[in-house]
Amino acid sequence: MKRLLCAILLTASASAQTPPAKGAAAGAGTTAGTTAGQTAAPAKADAAGTAAAASKTARPAASAPSPKDLKYPALHAIRIPKPESFTLPNGIKVRLVEDHELPEVQGTALIRTGSAFDPPERIGLAQMTGLLLRNGGTALKTGEQIDTLLEQIGASLDASIGETTGAVRFQTLKENSETVLLLLKEVLAQPAFRQDKLDAARAQLRGAISRRYANPATIAHHEFTNLVFGKETPYGWEQQYSTVDRISRNDLRAFHERYFFPANLTLGITGDFDSAQLKKFLESLFADWTPRQPAVPEFPKVRNIAAPGVYLADRKELTQSYFSVGHLGGQLDGKEYAALEVLCNALRTRLLDRFRKMSNGSEINTYWAADYAHPGVFEIAGAVKSVSSYETIKAVQQEVEAVRSAELPEEDFVIARDRVLQKLGFLFDTRTEILDHMLQFEYYGFPVDYAPQLQKAIQSLTRAELMRVAKQAINPANFTIVVAGNSAMFGDPLERLGGPVAKLDLTIPEPKPEVVTSTDVSLAEGKQTLAKAQTAAGGADKLAAIKDYTMLAEYQIDPAVPNMGGSKIVQTDRWISPTLFRQDAIFPSGRVSAYTDGRIGWISTPQGWGALAGTQRNQVFGDLFRVYFRLLLSDRLEGRTVNGLGPDNVQITDAAGQVATVGFDAATGLPRRVTYDTAQAGGPPIFCEDVYEDFRDVGGIQLPFKITIHQGGRNFSEVTVKEYKLNGGIKPLELGRRPQ
Amino acid sequence: MRFAGNLLWILAAGLGFAAQDLPAQQLPAQNLPAPDLKDLEKRVTEFSLPNGAHFIVLERHDAPLISFHMRLNAGSLYDPAGQTGLAHLVERLAFKGTESIGTRNWAEEKKALDAIEEVYDRMEAEANKGLKADQSRVDMLRTQARLAIENARRSVVANEYQRIFSENGAAALEARTTNAAAEFSVTLPSNRGELWFLMESQRLQHPAFREVYAERDASVAEYRQHTESAQGRVLGELVATAFTAFPYRNPLTGWPNDVSNLRRGDVKAFFERYYVPGNITVVICGDADPAEIKRLAERYFGPMAAKSMPPLFHADEPPQAGPRTTVVEIPGDPILAVSYKRPSQYDRDDAVFDLIQLVVGQGRSGLLRSLAVEEKHVAVNTQVVATFPDGRGPSLFTFLLFPAPGHTVEENQQALEDVLQRLKTTPLDEQTLARAKAQGRATVLRRLGSNGQMAELLALCHAEYGGWRKLFTNLEALKAVTAEQVTRVANRYFVATGRTTAYSVLPGQSDPPRPAAKPQTAPRKGGQAQ
Repeated sequence: MKRLLCAILLTASASAQTPPAKGAAAGAGTTAGTTAGQTAAPAKADAAGTAAAASKTARPAASAPSPKDLKYPALHAIRIPKPESFTLPNGIKVRLVEDHELPEVQGTALIRTGSAFDPPERIGLAQMTGLLLRNGGTALKTGEQIDTLLEQIGASLDASIGETTGAVRFQTLKENSETVLLLLKEVLAQPAFRQDKLDAARAQLRGAISRRYANPATIAHHEFTNLVFGKETPYGWEQQYSTVDRISRNDLRAFHERYFFPANLTLGITGDFDSAQLKKFLESLFADWTPRQPAVPEFPKVRNIAAPGVYLADRKELTQSYFSVGHLGGQLDGKEYAALEVLCNALRTRLLDRFRKMSNGSEINTYWAADYAHPGVFEIAGAVKSVSSYETIKAVQQEVEAVRSAELPEEDFVIARDRVLQKLGFLFDTRTEILDHMLQFEYYGFPVDYAPQLQKAIQSLTRAELMRVAKQAINPANFTIVVAGNSAMFGDPLERLGGPVAKLDLTIPEPKPEVVTSTDVSLAEGKQTLAKAQTAAGGADKLAAIKDYTMLAEYQIDPAVPNMGGSKIVQTDRWISPTLFRQDAIFPSGRVSAYTDGRIGWISTPQGWGALAGTQRNQVFGDLFRVYFRLLLSDRLEGRTVNGLGPDNVQITDAAGQVATVGFDAATGLPRRVTYDTAQAGGPPIFCEDVYEDFRDVGGIQLPFKITIHQGGRNFSEVTVKEYKLNGGIKPLELGRRPQ
Repeated sequence: MRFAGNLLWILAAGLGFAAQDLPAQQLPAQNLPAPDLKDLEKRVTEFSLPNGAHFIVLERHDAPLISFHMRLNAGSLYDPAGQTGLAHLVERLAFKGTESIGTRNWAEEKKALDAIEEVYDRMEAEANKGLKADQSRVDMLRTQARLAIENARRSVVANEYQRIFSENGAAALEARTTNAAAEFSVTLPSNRGELWFLMESQRLQHPAFREVYAERDASVAEYRQHTESAQGRVLGELVATAFTAFPYRNPLTGWPNDVSNLRRGDVKAFFERYYVPGNITVVICGDADPAEIKRLAERYFGPMAAKSMPPLFHADEPPQAGPRTTVVEIPGDPILAVSYKRPSQYDRDDAVFDLIQLVVGQGRSGLLRSLAVEEKHVAVNTQVVATFPDGRGPSLFTFLLFPAPGHTVEENQQALEDVLQRLKTTPLDEQTLARAKAQGRATVLRRLGSNGQMAELLALCHAEYGGWRKLFTNLEALKAVTAEQVTRVANRYFVATGRTTAYSVLPGQSDPPRPAAKPQTAPRKGGQAQ
């Protein structure tokens, strides 16, 4: 979930100074084809045959006008249009800008949300909601039908959720704008998050996780940002298989419900329309969309935990080193922002000059990647010949020190200042961008005339100011230095940069239960939550008095599940305290029974029987671990730890390595969802979630009669409990008898 | 309306065949209002210099940016016989700088460049003796040429032309050659407009034509790279088969042997003939002051001497006598191209062809895609281009089909045949017509939001149709197309005698018996040799 591309207004240096690649490709590519040497042939006329060629003689170059002699007027200010602003009765803020040049209408709905609000165990939820908002269809249309509808009228409508914004953007011919606005409302108000699209989106995110370290050029940058932001806040988090796997349709629906409500939305529209008419249309269009939610909180603050030090991602296959050096940066509305942009630009030029002299083969970029809502990073990133790794980073440190201790030469200062000024203009070069920026400035609470103000601020900078700001905002002693490269090829060891070098672990965690570290406080909290649940379920003593139970249930397997989809299974679970456990299931293919005494057991299928082992053993033992009564009494069972995870959530573990997280209903105190990883034949464990509903009283105890099981974020089965029999006096011998 | 065809072609190619799969859905017919040009008219200023160079300024003052697009009718269509690829090479060399930009010392560099030509002259003179040529002398001269080139290179300040632009905040600095034109574009901060005038006028008046031979090699490499792909190869064969005389049969980058024999003198000759003021259209779009633009144009472009206009191309394509087929053996996924001869973009039915492209080929509801991809699953993708490779001369209405694994070229041909049959016999319903018209308008209008693309299209319309308004009046022409016209055009042009088919097979797979030979897949030796 890494930033850099999403919310940044001015990553100026990156694009500002790269030579125009397209031009080079189209017109200026050179290839080898000549070799060194020299000729003594006398100069003569050009190739014979064309009069034109023969007539040309060398002109003195001095008489040609030189670009250096041109004097340019001051750059015009960026014009941000003044929109017509009003709020619809349901709370949507609307900004309209008429523009009649072309018969088109385009717009953006900004929603205050973002991956900064991802729950820690479901990192990726915001992004996935964004991916599915339109593609997952609405209550009335599938994603494909939306595609077709838009295509028919030559319009577009796309949704996405970034770190601190959600946006739905559209563009249409003016005559179709009502059709598209209708669709916009549908997408905002009634997204359906269809399962097949959820699966596709999950596969897409999983693919991205698997490729996290595939491109060596991005490893250092990636690890750098994670280190600088740290694990304390969402800005340093990243998606993992486990966090993506557990995202279900319910999660998407809940996320949507929380953030997609009228008062949390700004709708900006520009193009060829009549504002009064459009206003009327919007009022009636959105009249029946009136959900309310508490105001969305502030985005989490970045915690300034400096992680100075040298970190190495040692990759033997790398032929050059990639490095990222820097520390936490600032915000776009920071007082010193203009100065830092210019400084970064000048710094890059200096570094390039120095590297050219060093012939270290280095490419370099410097970023003051300020962000709207929270500090970004100050980063110097580059690639260099392996052997020059140390001296290059040393040179970076020295050059940074140099711009802090002496003013830039006037010429360098002017060039850097003008480049930053020019690049600012390019952020506003289409109507779409102007509208988008206008909305974003307002969204983040920036002044309307932020862009022209920034232009002025850049124009009025001085060299002295730059140096002062550099001293204040940049501190090489605080640098986090990350290098991805082959340490065997380094000329000098990185230790010479000062202090020990920490090795980075680049393995991508397989989905596996992550046991949360417990503290006295969290343990006490866990006990408290569980005690509340015990009371809600009928009381701890009543629960403890249950010595055996039988549960008869019908499993309706979801049609989309491979092989067994759509089938109905009747299952009986029987348990005798503490650990005798048996399951008998009638599948369409026959009967399967499994039994364990808590240590060993057997399994019997139509094909024969054998010792309970492997995947089946893991599954049965998991079910035994999560037997309702045992789970609720986990604080009394030997070897079990109950750890509080915030309000209404506990994680329960045992000595054998079983892990389950239980979420309780805040209102009733009863268990609401149990999540765990379960073994799968021929694959990594899969994330499961059981949702308990339809609680009824059985002999004074509250028991769930409906259980929905999700596996890997997909609906797996609906379980309807037909009957619970408590303390029926089951005989241990009877339980252990194999079917014949 | 070739630009629409051109647009859609570029658009589709740029998307890399984004998969968009859906059956058509019915929509109420839309009533399309005419584009209202009043707002635009007010902001357009046009003028010609006495020497003929034409300037169009469209003011858009939102952002302090200004986009330039210069277009010359000097594309590969104008390559002299035996010198294919020359127009493209000239465009490549434009970025190599001028007599004052890109050199350490022009006087010395000029001498060194002349020295290269002198060696080449001697080498050619020897080689031209044919069988009597002294091969060792040719080799010796070739080595000398290499050395001379290296010597000249010492005076070069690499990439200075681009660097100056880049240092002044330029973006999207591009050049390209098409069949029709050479085009040069860039976007600058709007206070630096004068830089463009200086740089471009220097390039037009004092081009240096340095590094000709390295660029020549690069151009050949570009051709090779292009023809390595099945698509590049099949399309190359398609035009080479469909056109017997008209220069569309030649690759844009030229035939390698032609290019390898191009000389610096050829480049200069072409440049002097085609890069003349009367052949220049410049469109400036953005934060520009028309009066200031005119002043700069007079100052920098005014001194260029008026010259006679370059000759028009006068090639024509003789009538086709029967269907033609060509088969390409090449590894990779198969591709089928079927094209039908059609008249140029100046024909009165041009808008009808555009409409057919939209109906048959646009998006997932296009008729061909619906049938071949969605319904029959015989293809993984399809593409339709009304005007290929270009519209100035006799052209090809072209269908591309990418057969699905396990499905044959014949099945794809049949699917296309079914679609064409439907066009010929069943008039299009109102919804389908309305959809196509909306899509065509949206596709064109969407591009006009960007200054750079607006400038490009206005330049195209002025250079090829004689006026920028054509950009918008053509949308009107599209709007006026009727179902009856579509049926008439389909019956007249989608006929066997206008058809050329090109497809790829895996190496060694040309000969094995193919099921049920249909006329259009008859082996080439059969029908059309003479």
